[in-house]
Amino acid sequence: MSAVIQIQRAGPLTSIQDAGRFGMLAHGISASGPMDRGGYAAAGALAGAGLGGVEFTMAGLEIFVASGRCRVGFAGGHFVAHHNGRAVDWFGAVALEAGDRLAVTPGAWGNYGYLRFDGDIVAQRMMGSIATSSRAGLGGLEGRALRAGDVIALEGSGGAVSQPAPLEPGAGPIRFVWGLHADLFPQAARQGFVEGAFAITTRMDRMGVRLDDIGEVFGGASSLSLVSDAIVPGDIQILGDGTPIVLMRDHQPTGGYPRIATVITADLDRFAQMRAGTAVAFEPVGVEHAQALLRSG
Amino acid sequence: MADPDIFPTPTILALGDSAILVRFGTRLTDAANRAVIALTGLLEHHPIAGVVEVMPNLVSVLLRYDPLTTSPTLLQGELRLRLFGLAGAMDAPAAWDIPVVFDGPDLDEVSAALGLSQDAFIAAHNAAPSRVLATGFAPGFVYCGLHEAMVLPRRTAVRSSVPAGSVLFAAGQTAITATEMPTGWHVIGRTEFRNFDAAATPPTLLRAGDLLRFAVAP
Repeated sequence: MSAVIQIQRAGPLTSIQDAGRFGMLAHGISASGPMDRGGYAAAGALAGAGLGGVEFTMAGLEIFVASGRCRVGFAGGHFVAHHNGRAVDWFGAVALEAGDRLAVTPGAWGNYGYLRFDGDIVAQRMMGSIATSSRAGLGGLEGRALRAGDVIALEGSGGAVSQPAPLEPGAGPIRFVWGLHADLFPQAARQGFVEGAFAITTRMDRMGVRLDDIGEVFGGASSLSLVSDAIVPGDIQILGDGTPIVLMRDHQPTGGYPRIATVITADLDRFAQMRAGTAVAFEPVGVEHAQALLRSG
Repeated sequence: MADPDIFPTPTILALGDSAILVRFGTRLTDAANRAVIALTGLLEHHPIAGVVEVMPNLVSVLLRYDPLTTSPTLLQGELRLRLFGLAGAMDAPAAWDIPVVFDGPDLDEVSAALGLSQDAFIAAHNAAPSRVLATGFAPGFVYCGLHEAMVLPRRTAVRSSVPAGSVLFAAGQTAITATEMPTGWHVIGRTEFRNFDAAATPPTLLRAGDLLRFAVAP
């Protein structure tokens, strides 16, 4: 199987991703990888995918098959897909021939969607991965976002096709474990974090999501001077002006702002798919509970 | 636990559900940083099953693990065993010569704030080798020090971009940028030395604990 795909239209945050560039934190590089790992995996199962995939946002995406043929699987949040102008069920797969077009526009929920193909995306591996890091400007295609006119070559035969469980937007509070600096926050702030009202803002990208602290739980400017320390995806840091930011896949590897909490792995995909304006509540859990949730899938 | 006469006693904290942090202090001290370097070396020679990544920081070591194959309790037990042997675990550091052109836009201000002439500041800065304290924040970005007699706060204004190879100074430390980046540190000079090459394996040259001999570039 081989094919050449041309990008006809792409939003500013469209990128090539794979599972992630792990093991490079000591060199100052975070792992990147899909904002919604479950969505990425589901698209892969539907396609019988090879290496890598294309992550796109609510700005949508349109591709054109310049040559060859391939199977494309799509999943993630909810989007609307048209194959040569004909609507196809979202969360599925289609066979594409040379000359075909697949257009994706926003749907009912979610920020991120994935296209995956039954072949490997041809891109130079950087430190073992083709994932694009928007922060370090490496991986993917020249370390940058995809744009109209870019060409992606596919080669190889991919893997087995399977039918994953349908994706749901999910509901309920976002669960967290108390963070590295939770003990530095006054009890009132910790309580406010658990009981307070927060909302997703439009200031979101692959590095982080800024929250609207509606009840001004963190209203007071803080002047904590902390030694720079390791960051993990899902860490919630509070800026000097009180703005909470949830750090995401392209997070900086170390940082010096106080971190009150870390979103659990099991809820991070769901959090990434929450649209701007959505209310979000936080609920503390223990590490063991967070891990039990991971094991139960 | 680690020998208290040499290293501070660490606190072991969960950082999310897939990592633990072994923290030797909440402030940057020479002893805490040396303990980090010793533990990192020890874990390289005696890895812990289930740990998928070890990341040394200024005062802590991050251990990423796979929660499906190991538990934090198990990890902590293995960690304690290794911390007992921490005292003599230092690997011999590598030494590097770093020629610097001291012509940064903040050199005047830095020297004046320390009550030194430019030449006296440069001489003091280069007098003894600096230890690489950690890599972090950006690809190949290294913190070196400590210059305990020359502690200055960061600048109040952030420069939106300084080039790779910028030599920075703040908080008793020297830092070297390996990529173009914004910084609130004082820019005191530049070097041809590049600590990051995305195509190389490993992609950085310097390791925490290495000694840097700064010198005025000819």
